[in-house]
Amino acid sequence: MIYEATRTPQAGLPPRTGLRLALLHLASRRVPAALAAITACAVVLRIALHWPWDAYGALQLPLIFEAGCAATIAATTASPFGEPERATGPRLPLLRLGTALALTAAAAGALAAAGIGAHLAGGSLDVLRNTAGLTGIGLLCAAVLGGARAWTGQMAYLMIGVYALYTQWHGPALSSPWIWPARPPHDLGAATCAGLVFAAGLVAVTVSGSRDPLGE
Amino acid sequence: MTAAPVAPALPLRAAGRLLRLELRRSAMLTMAPLAAVLFWFVVYRPSMAFPPLWNVRAMGMQTRAVSVFAPTVIGAAAWIGSREGRHAITDLVAGTARSRWARQFAAWAAATGWALLAYLACVAVLYVVTARQAGGGGPLWWPVAVGAASLPAFAALGFAAGALRPSRFTTPLVAILAFLALQLSVQMIHDSGSDWQISPLVAGPWQIGADEGVATFYHYLPDLPIAQIMFLAGLTAALLGVLGLPAAAGGRWLRRSAAAVTAAGLLTCGTAVALAGTGRLDAHGMIAIPGLHSAAGDRPVGYAPVCGHTAIPVCLHPAYTVYLPAVTAALEPVLDEVAGLPGAPVRISQAAATYRQETGNGVAIGLAGPLISGTPPVYHLLLPNQRGGPTMTVSQLADAVRTDTRHELLASLICGDAREPNPAQQAIVAAMLNTYDKVPDASVAAKARRFAALPATARHAWLVEHLAALRSGRLTLAQLP
Repeated sequence: MIYEATRTPQAGLPPRTGLRLALLHLASRRVPAALAAITACAVVLRIALHWPWDAYGALQLPLIFEAGCAATIAATTASPFGEPERATGPRLPLLRLGTALALTAAAAGALAAAGIGAHLAGGSLDVLRNTAGLTGIGLLCAAVLGGARAWTGQMAYLMIGVYALYTQWHGPALSSPWIWPARPPHDLGAATCAGLVFAAGLVAVTVSGSRDPLGE
Repeated sequence: MTAAPVAPALPLRAAGRLLRLELRRSAMLTMAPLAAVLFWFVVYRPSMAFPPLWNVRAMGMQTRAVSVFAPTVIGAAAWIGSREGRHAITDLVAGTARSRWARQFAAWAAATGWALLAYLACVAVLYVVTARQAGGGGPLWWPVAVGAASLPAFAALGFAAGALRPSRFTTPLVAILAFLALQLSVQMIHDSGSDWQISPLVAGPWQIGADEGVATFYHYLPDLPIAQIMFLAGLTAALLGVLGLPAAAGGRWLRRSAAAVTAAGLLTCGTAVALAGTGRLDAHGMIAIPGLHSAAGDRPVGYAPVCGHTAIPVCLHPAYTVYLPAVTAALEPVLDEVAGLPGAPVRISQAAATYRQETGNGVAIGLAGPLISGTPPVYHLLLPNQRGGPTMTVSQLADAVRTDTRHELLASLICGDAREPNPAQQAIVAAMLNTYDKVPDASVAAKARRFAALPATARHAWLVEHLAALRSGRLTLAQLP
């Protein structure tokens, strides 16, 4: 005899069950904590923007916070369940995709909002491009190295980005569109590169998830 | 038959075994290649684009290497520090023979060891290549020492954060926050007496950066590096001590020791910051801290100059040997003209720049004393790259010598001490530099063009006869040939 409560659910989840599944997924990925971290990044950026930064400091400041938000998003991809979760159903990729997209949008929105009324170097367009690109790097690293180690790629890229900004003063300037933080906000090549990396990261993490051993 | 009883391992042997275990599985081992690649991209590659001057390469190396290694080491250490918390095995390992503090110390030591090894290997490559290219003035070891001293502190910071707050977000956030804090620290520097110079990113007066004029004619002052190393050692001790404070860290004796270590570390940090705050820019471009200063550091460094083969020899400090061909080639046309003139220098000798702190972050860099002095007269040359500003390539420096130094040399010879050269002096200087097209006064330009058109021997003969009168301002424009 199979008890009612343990029966396999029918295909096509009722709305409340779908919502519960999404909430459970978000909780398992520590999304509330991630949102808190993103909000904290935006608040600290807002406070920092009131500081009298020199020109170089003002340029690299948003990039550091963008990297912080992107690293937080990449860290949410780590699964505490591993293989057992992957065997549970077809909705997991959609949940991964939705989580990554929603958090990226939240991060870009929060950082752009932090810059309203203050001098945010590069403006909102720069924030969107850099956050998306850095998140893409993190998602790709999560798929290859695991969600817990995804920050390594973003950290390395942050170093390269900060150095590229430095070379705008002390040449020879690095001008590759693949180093998008050093390009102007309206640069199409840089936006394309960042977009491609973000798309690749989304695809990788949606299809395969983060490469996490059980317990990490 | 029973097995012979195993003798209890000596404490040091057991500690060594624990350290070997940690060394084998340290996350820093996997991060070392990443740090090396970043070092190559951010430190080595740009350093090789600079001229082979120890001061520029070593001081730039300290700032950039610390920037590269800080987040890498902090991240790896935070990852290692949060290991027990992430795996939820804190209770499980609480029953092991070693106290939690001892286990954490071994893991921190392993991470620090790998970080130091990676850092020293990277620096060794940079220094060996520089030693093969540079003419003198080094190697400078204090920047290496500050970078090395920062690694245990970064590892302790990351480790403490990971151990006290184990979470999937701790590792990336603490690494990025530490990077932000480092960048923030240098934004706070407003003069040479700033407390914030204690930041390991700072390798000299922050406002002039890795300057080509320092640490060649005079020693690289160890005052600020000593204060920075004190601070970093104190920070390391305080952070490691904090790990021993929780009840789970060990027994009462151990926790009291940890509290003492923390207090001693904080005291050392405070002392180092206070010392850095008493710093001042000395005349040779370094930060002197009275409490740490040795008078021996103020004595000039002896050297045998390297000289070019021109009509008037140009002699540079051996550290600037790389510039000698470009400087002699740029000055040669003028030196050929002025050689043998009354009052002309018998040698062009490179001099040390003098530095003076101005308000805020301003620094005045110049030459102490007159351009020409002594018997027989010697022209004291300050290369354009000794005057501050961005680092120059050899060709950029040659261009600056052609435009600025040649003008200064001729102006000092022809105009003497006159602040405002008269029209006759202007015309002769413009004629000898072939810049008469740029003279705004038409009559001066015409005279200059006429003088420049004379044969070299005629110009030289006229100057031999009239230079003294021209220099004293007694000749008018009409009296020029």
